[in-house]
Amino acid sequence: MNKNMDGGSDSTTRRTFLQRLTGGVLGLVAAVGSWPMFRALVPNILYEPPKRIRIGAPGGFQNGMTYLEEHRLFLLRDGNSYSAVSGICSHLGCTVKFAPFEQTQQLTVRGIEFESLGEFHCPCHGSKFHGDGTNYSGPAPRPLQWHHVEVSPKDGSLVVDLAQEVGRDSKLVV
Amino acid sequence: MNLPSISGIWDRLVWSWRPGSNREAGSGIVSNFLLHWFPNRVSSKGMAAGYSLYLGTISAVLFLILTVSGIILMFLYVPSVERAYWGIKDLEFAISFGWLLRRVHRIAAHLMVAVVFLHMFRVFLTGAYKAGEVVKSARPFNWVLGVILLVLTLLLSFTGYLLPWDQLAFWAITVGTSIAAAVPVIGESIRQFLLGGTVIGQPTLIRFYVLHCVFLPVILTGIAIWHMWRIRKDGGLAVTEQLRLEARAREPAPPRSSKTYSILGIASGTTVQVSDPTTLDDTNSVPSTPFLTVRLLVVTLATVAACLILALVFAAPLEEAANPEVTPNPAKAPWYFLGLQELVGYSALVGGVIVPGVVIVGLGVIPFLDKDQARIGVWFTNADGRRWGIIGAVFGMAASSLCVAVAVLFPLRDLLVGIESQLFFDVFNPATFLLLLFVGFYFLTLKISGSKRSAAIATFCGFITAFILLTYVGTALRGPNWDFYWPWQPWPEHPITF
Repeated sequence: MNKNMDGGSDSTTRRTFLQRLTGGVLGLVAAVGSWPMFRALVPNILYEPPKRIRIGAPGGFQNGMTYLEEHRLFLLRDGNSYSAVSGICSHLGCTVKFAPFEQTQQLTVRGIEFESLGEFHCPCHGSKFHGDGTNYSGPAPRPLQWHHVEVSPKDGSLVVDLAQEVGRDSKLVV
Repeated sequence: MNLPSISGIWDRLVWSWRPGSNREAGSGIVSNFLLHWFPNRVSSKGMAAGYSLYLGTISAVLFLILTVSGIILMFLYVPSVERAYWGIKDLEFAISFGWLLRRVHRIAAHLMVAVVFLHMFRVFLTGAYKAGEVVKSARPFNWVLGVILLVLTLLLSFTGYLLPWDQLAFWAITVGTSIAAAVPVIGESIRQFLLGGTVIGQPTLIRFYVLHCVFLPVILTGIAIWHMWRIRKDGGLAVTEQLRLEARAREPAPPRSSKTYSILGIASGTTVQVSDPTTLDDTNSVPSTPFLTVRLLVVTLATVAACLILALVFAAPLEEAANPEVTPNPAKAPWYFLGLQELVGYSALVGGVIVPGVVIVGLGVIPFLDKDQARIGVWFTNADGRRWGIIGAVFGMAASSLCVAVAVLFPLRDLLVGIESQLFFDVFNPATFLLLLFVGFYFLTLKISGSKRSAAIATFCGFITAFILLTYVGTALRGPNWDFYWPWQPWPEHPITF
C-alpha cells in the first residue's frame, strides 16, 4: 500500500491508527477479562485447620521435649516454663526430627544461653538446628519458628498460636 | 526414484491404482487427509535414523500414549483428598487392567521427560537450530518453542506427581512448591497461589489436577503443533540446509522458483519456498509415502511396545497415604528434579531459582548467540567440535563432582560458624561456585577456540554431564538427612543419636 491510497501524508496513516486502536482495545479486553479469572483463583476463605490450637493441660506434658505430631510442633517444658518450637523446616517445609543428646549441654547461641536437650535434623536437605531452633548447618536460611503460648482462661489448657511468631527467649511460666 | 508399475497377480489383487510417476505420487499425498501433513517429498538425509534418531517423533508418540491412557484414568480418578489415594488403590487392585493403565501412564511420562531432553541434545549437537544461509528460516524461533515444550513437559510431569496423594507425592510437592517460595519478595505469594492456601490440601489437589489434565496439555498440544508446522515451513529437518547449499551451487542466482503462487492469491508477497532453489530432486529425496510414513509407523509401534514392556517390568510405586505429619527420610523429588534438589540442598535461592532460570534463559538464547552457519546438520559440526565436546563433557563431570565434593567435605556453614547472614550463604555456596565455573568455562573456551560454536558445544556438553552427575548423586548417593553415602555404604537403619 502506498501512502496516497491511505490518504495520509505524515507517518500516522488511517490504517496504522486503526491498527493501533484495534491492538489497544484487544489488549484492554484481554487485561480486563483475565483479571477476574486470576482474582477468582486467589482464595478469600481458607478451609484449613485453625492456627490457634489447644494442646492440653500444662501438667500433662513431661519435662523436656514433646512432639505434637498432628500440629508439627515441639513443646519444650522446663519445670514450669513452656515454649513451642515449630517442626517445619525453614528451608523447604519438611518436618524436622528431634535428635536428643545423651546428656544435656549448656550452649550459648547468638547471645542466648540455654540448656540444650538435643538437635533438630531435617530429612530433606540435611539442615541442622540447635536445641533452640537456630540453624547452624545445611541450607536452612532461618531458625525454626517459635510460637506464642498462652493459657486458656476457660479451662486452663495450653493454647499455641501458630500464626504468631515470638523470640527465642520467649517462655510461658505457669 | 522410479515407482514400480502394477504387475503380477499380487499387485493386481491389492492395488486399484498406483502412482505411475512422482507427480502422481505427490498428488496422492496432498489430496489424502491423513497424508497431507507430510510434505510431498522428503530428503533421504532428513529421514536417516542416525541423524534425528526420531526423538521428536518418539516424544509426540509418548504424548499421544499419555493422552489416551490419561483420559481413561480421568474416568477412574476423583481429585479429592479423601478419595484420591483410594482411587489409586482401586486402580491397582480392583479395576481390570487399572494397574496396567497406571504403569503405562507413569512409564510414558518418565520416558517423555528423558526423550524430550535427548531430543534437545540432538538438535543442539547437530546445530539444527540455525537459520541457514540460502533461505532465512525461522529455526531459531522453533528452538525457543522447543525450550517452552521442555518446560511444559516438566510441569506436566510435576503436576501429575501429586495426584496419587501418597507420601511420595505429598512430600515431593512440598519440596517443589517451597522452592517457589525462595523467590525474593513475592516467593511466598507464588507458593500460596500454587497451593490455593497456606498448606497443601484440597485446593492444591484440584489446582494440580486441572493444570495436569486440561490447562497444560492444551497449551502443550497447541505449541507442539506449531513446532511441527514450523519444521514443514522451514523446509524439513535442518540437514536439508546442506541440500539447499548444493542446489544453490547448481543453480546460480537468480534462483528458479519452485512455486509460483502466493497464498490463495490474497496475500501479497511470496512464501519462503518461492525463492528457494529446487532442493529436493530424484537423487536426494523420496516420496513421503510410503518411505516416511512406514518409518513413522515403525517408530510408533516400537514406542508403544517399549512402553508396554517396561510397564510390565516396572511397577508404579504407591506408598502410604499422604500424611502431612510424617516426613519420609530421605524425601526426594522426581528423578529429573534430583539434580536440582542437590543444588537446592546448598541454597534454595541459587539452586531452586537462579540456576534453573539461568539454564532456561541460556537455552532460549543459544540460537541468537551462535550464528555460525557452517555445517548445519552435522553432529558436533566438525573435528574441532567433537574435541570441544569431549573437553566440555569432562569439564562438566569434573566441575559438578568438585561442587558435590566441596559441599560434602567443606560445608561452609559449619566452617564459618560466626556468620549469621543468610545472604552470605546464598552468595557463597557450591551452586554459585558451579554456575561461575560454567560461565568462566564458556568464555575460556571462546577465547581458546575462537569459535562461538565450539564454545557453545563445550558448555552444552558440560551441562549434559553435570546434569547427569548431579541427578545421579541426588538419586543414588543421598541417604537419610540428605547425608552422602557411597553405593556400597549401607544406610543407617535407625536415626543417629548423640
